[in-house]
Amino acid sequence: MADQPGPPAHATVTVDALEGPVVRVELPDGTTQDWARLDLPRDVQEGDVLHVRVEDGERHVRIDRAETRRRTQRAQAELTELNAGSPDGELDL
Amino acid sequence: MSAQAAPSGVLTIRFLDVGQGDAVLITSPEGKSVLYDGGRSEARLQGLLTQYQVKSLDLVVASHADSDHITGLVPAVQTFKPKYFLNNGLAGTTQIWQKLVTTAKLAGTQGLRAKNQVINLGSVKLTVIPPPPGMKDQNTNSVGLLVQYGSFRALMTGDSETPETRAWLKQLPASTLGPIDVYKSIHHGAKNGDNAAWLAAVRPANVVIGVGPNNYGHPTAEAITLYKKAGAAIYRTDLNGTVTVTVQPGGTYTLSAAKGTGTAATRTQAPPSVTPPAAPSVVYANCAAVRAAGKAPLLRGQPGYSPKLDRDGDGRACE
Repeated sequence: MADQPGPPAHATVTVDALEGPVVRVELPDGTTQDWARLDLPRDVQEGDVLHVRVEDGERHVRIDRAETRRRTQRAQAELTELNAGSPDGELDL
Repeated sequence: MSAQAAPSGVLTIRFLDVGQGDAVLITSPEGKSVLYDGGRSEARLQGLLTQYQVKSLDLVVASHADSDHITGLVPAVQTFKPKYFLNNGLAGTTQIWQKLVTTAKLAGTQGLRAKNQVINLGSVKLTVIPPPPGMKDQNTNSVGLLVQYGSFRALMTGDSETPETRAWLKQLPASTLGPIDVYKSIHHGAKNGDNAAWLAAVRPANVVIGVGPNNYGHPTAEAITLYKKAGAAIYRTDLNGTVTVTVQPGGTYTLSAAKGTGTAATRTQAPPSVTPPAAPSVVYANCAAVRAAGKAPLLRGQPGYSPKLDRDGDGRACE
């Protein structure tokens, strides 16, 4: 991708968003990078946790479905808790 | 940097230049503020909040969980501890999403899952447009917000896509939508955002695209063509910097850009836009001269006001 450094040799990244032929991933340091969708598993989806390793110049990417599910459930529980007790009706700020 | 706080007595909506992403700051005539999305950079949003002298935030909104919309909400929540955090109820799995939720929890901010609800920001009416049921991902679960003040209407719907706008068209009364005076381009002008059927209902007079350098082809030629066909004036934060809308009681409004001008509307009935002041009878060389004359701040339309003295283009020179 233009203006993008190479991906880390070994890393666990999170798919932030799919932007057409580009996938924006969040790196371990919290920054984001744009990767070509063609370089990733065809069934990659937003929210997926990916394990990346580069060997002999080739990048291997694996979707960690179990970790994706764990994270999704944990994050959803936290958000549901944050949203619990939100007032109904018209609100005045 | 000159003082650039939102003036009291008017509604101010700033489409902040956060690069590639969205962040819209809405300040009521009473000085109450809402931040709808925060862009992709904590530092950049923090700087903008300082620049515009934001004193408080009562509500922050994450249209959805993508990083180019929520990252800047983190310092906003940390600094201002808003009463509410409006969201689509669909958690993200990224670290930045986790950070935002944790920050809100620590700040004592109450989460608000989007539902059909009116939120009164002082005298400004905010109508939450929740995502329709059965949507599949973050974009199609974007939270919409309709802003009304007098006859003025603004609309922002995050990164929504055709399935969401199609469902909204089925469930919303036509009067809920257009005509919209100032409209946030969906998804930075992506190909799968704004569509002809939706824009026919929205009927935007002015479209503002939140966009910066990107690898996604935003804004697409297709989106720009749609806006032109709708007869809208087009503003882009990459070309125009922060775009500020100032709405008077009753609903008359002006748009101003930090740099350049938007693309003129093609409709026969031109939407209100920045009115060039009549030739001034008084000319001030600089703000020092204005202050020396005891005339600061100079408001647009007052003798001696000049866009040259109004660097942020908010209608108040030499603040």
